[in-house]
Amino acid sequence: MRVLLVEDEMLLRAQVDKYLRDAGFVVDMASNGEKGLYFGLEFDYDVAVIDLGLPKMNGIDLISELRKQNRAFPILILTARRDWQDKVTGLEVGADDYLTKPFHLEELKARLDALIRRAAGYASPVVEKGPLSLDLGAKEARLHGDPLELTAFEYRVLEYLAMNPARVVSKAELTEHLYEQDFDRDSNVIEVFIGRLRRKLDPDGTLKPIRTIRGAGYRFSL
Amino acid sequence: MATTAIALCLFLLATGWIWERLFTTSVRASAEEQMLIVARGLVDATRKDADPAALGRTYVSEAGPRERAPGPSILLPDELGEPRLSRPNSGLYAYIETADGSLAWRSPSMTITSVAAVPNPRPPPGDSRFHKIEIDGTEPRFLLGYTVILEELEDLELTFWVLNDQAPFSAEIREFRRSLVAGVIAATLLLIVLQLGTLRWGLRPLRRMAERVRGLHAGQRGDIGEDYPAELAQLARTLNRFVAHELESRERYRRAMGDLAHSLKTPLAVLKNALTTPDRPDKTLFDDQLDRMEATVSRQLSRAAAMPPVLPHEPVPVTPLLERLCRALDKAYAEKHVDVDVRAGDVRVRADERDVMDVLGNLLENAYKYSHSKVRVAAGKDNRHATRAFGRKSSAPREEAIGLDAIAARSNPCEVVQIVIEDDGDGIPESAKQYVFERGARADTAHSGHGIGLASAVELASAYGGTVELADSDLGGARVILKMPA
Repeated sequence: MRVLLVEDEMLLRAQVDKYLRDAGFVVDMASNGEKGLYFGLEFDYDVAVIDLGLPKMNGIDLISELRKQNRAFPILILTARRDWQDKVTGLEVGADDYLTKPFHLEELKARLDALIRRAAGYASPVVEKGPLSLDLGAKEARLHGDPLELTAFEYRVLEYLAMNPARVVSKAELTEHLYEQDFDRDSNVIEVFIGRLRRKLDPDGTLKPIRTIRGAGYRFSL
Repeated sequence: MATTAIALCLFLLATGWIWERLFTTSVRASAEEQMLIVARGLVDATRKDADPAALGRTYVSEAGPRERAPGPSILLPDELGEPRLSRPNSGLYAYIETADGSLAWRSPSMTITSVAAVPNPRPPPGDSRFHKIEIDGTEPRFLLGYTVILEELEDLELTFWVLNDQAPFSAEIREFRRSLVAGVIAATLLLIVLQLGTLRWGLRPLRRMAERVRGLHAGQRGDIGEDYPAELAQLARTLNRFVAHELESRERYRRAMGDLAHSLKTPLAVLKNALTTPDRPDKTLFDDQLDRMEATVSRQLSRAAAMPPVLPHEPVPVTPLLERLCRALDKAYAEKHVDVDVRAGDVRVRADERDVMDVLGNLLENAYKYSHSKVRVAAGKDNRHATRAFGRKSSAPREEAIGLDAIAARSNPCEVVQIVIEDDGDGIPESAKQYVFERGARADTAHSGHGIGLASAVELASAYGGTVELADSDLGGARVILKMPA
C-alpha cells in the first residue's frame, strides 16, 4: 500500500515513515502543504496522513484541493488535542478520520488499515470463498481453517489485489504501490509472486482467487 | 473649544447687527410717524383755519403778498401746533403744494436761504410717502409727502410736505451703536469666560479618569474608581470590568503555567532516572509517565487558554454545533455504526463558539468511543441555579467563587443551558470518577485519553462559569451533564 505522509515536524515524520515502512507500506513524505498537493496529484495513493498545522498551505486547504481534483483516497488527519473546530472542518472538507497528537503508532497503522478496507468496500475484515478465507484485519490467509505461510511481500500483493476488488490491476500499478521508488523493477518479479501466491492459495486450481486478464493485469475475485 | 468660542462670537456679532438694523428701522419709523403727525396737524389747521375767502386771491410769503398765483393760496395762523415750524432754521420745515405743483404755503421756519422745496413725485390722495434726501452740500434730511382732498375747500387737492433734519436721529443711532458694540464685546468676553469655566469644571471628572488610567498603566492602581457623574459612571464600570478581567485572565494563566511546570517536574525526573539505571527501560513506566505529562499539559493548557470575554458573549446556537460534531464523529467512527439520537431545541450558550465546540467535541468523542452502539444527546434550558456537583478540590477556592460570580455577572443566573450526553458503554466506575477529574489520568486503560478529554472539557466549561457532572445513564453507560450560562 502506498501512503502519502504530509507532516512538517521532522522527527515525527521520520518516526512515522520508519514505522509504516517496516509495516510494509510504501511511503512518500512531504514537509509542507504545497509539496503534499504536488505528490497527491502526481501519484496514486491508497491512503494519506495529513497534519492540519502545515506551512505553505494548511491541511484543510490541502484536503479540500485534493478532493476538488477528484483524489478519492482516504485521508487521516493529525491534529492537536484542543482543535475541534479544525477537526470537524477537516472532516467536512473530505477527510475520513482523525487522530490526535500524541498518538500511538500502532493506532495510526490500525486506522490506516481500517480506512483502506473501508474504501475498498469491506464492511467486515474477513473475505471468504469456499475453504479460502482472508482476514484483512489480522493480515492472514487461511485455507480450510489452517493459516497459510505467506511471505510479507506475498501477503502485500494479495492485500493490494483484495483492496481493489472491482477492477483489473496492472503489473505497473502493483509495482508502484508495493515498491519503493528506487527499486530496480523487473516486471517478471510480480509474475513470480503471483504464481507463488496462486499455488499457496489455490493448490487445486479450483478457486482461482486471482484471475489474469491478458495484456492488462490481474483481478481479485474472491 | 475654540470652535465653540468662534461660533459664539459670530453669533453675538450677528445678533448685534440685527439689533442695529432693528434700531435704525425703528428710528426711521419713528421719524416718519412724527412727521406724519406734523403733516396731519397742518391738514387740520388748513381745514379749520384756512380762510375760504382768501382762497384764490393772495399768495402769501414772508416777503409779503405777491402777485396773484394761478391756484388757491392758503392762509394759516402764525401759531401752529408744532413750534419748530415757526422758528426759522429749526430743522423742521413744511410746505403745501397744489395739484398743479405750485407752492401754496410754506412754514415760517422755511426761509428761502435755508431750504428750498425739493420737487418730488406727489403721493396719491390719502397716501403718504417717506424719503431720505441727500443733496451735496446740504444736510441729509427726511421728507414726507401727504396728499389730501379737502371737501371744505371745494375738493381741493393738496400735498403737505414735511422736511426734517436727520442730524438728531443719526446722533441717536450713533449713540445706540456705541452702546451696542460695548455690550456685545462685554457679552462675548463674559460668555468666553463662562465657557472656559464650564468646560474646565465639566471636564474635571474626565481629567480625573484620565489621570487614574495613567495610574493603571503605571501599575499604581488596580481600577479607576467609581466616583464619577452619571454620564461617566457606566464607562467607568465597564473599564473597571475590563481591567479586572485582564487581571483575572493573567492570574489564571500564570497559575496554569505554574501548575504545569510543577506537575511536569515529577514525571520528567522519574523518566530521567529510569534512563540512568542499567536495566532496560520499563515500557509501562514510560507510558504511564508520558501519559501523566500529556494529561497535565492538556489540562493546564485548557485552563490557561480559555479566555471568556468581559462583556457577555453573543449567544451561540448549540444545535448546529452538535450536528456538525455528530456528523464528523459518525465519519470517524463509521465502522462502529453508532446510533446517535440528538434532541435539541433552539438553545444558545453565551460563550466563544470555538470553546463550546471543544467542550462538546471532547464529551461527544468520549461517548462515541465508549459506547457499544448507542449515544443519546439532549439539550435544553435548565431553569434552576447551576449547582456544582463536582468541585475541583485541587483548584483554589477563589476560582470557584469567580465561576459562580461569573454566571451572576454575565447572565441571568436562572438561565442555564443543560446538555446531557449518554452512551450505552460500560460507564465510568464510581471510584474512577473523582480520579478522572483530579488527575486526568486514564480511567480505562483500554481506551486512551478518556480522562484527559473530560478534564479539558471541565476546565473550559468552568472558565465560563459552567459545570460538568457525571452520573449513570439508563442506557447502561455514562451520563455526562454539561451546564453552561445561557
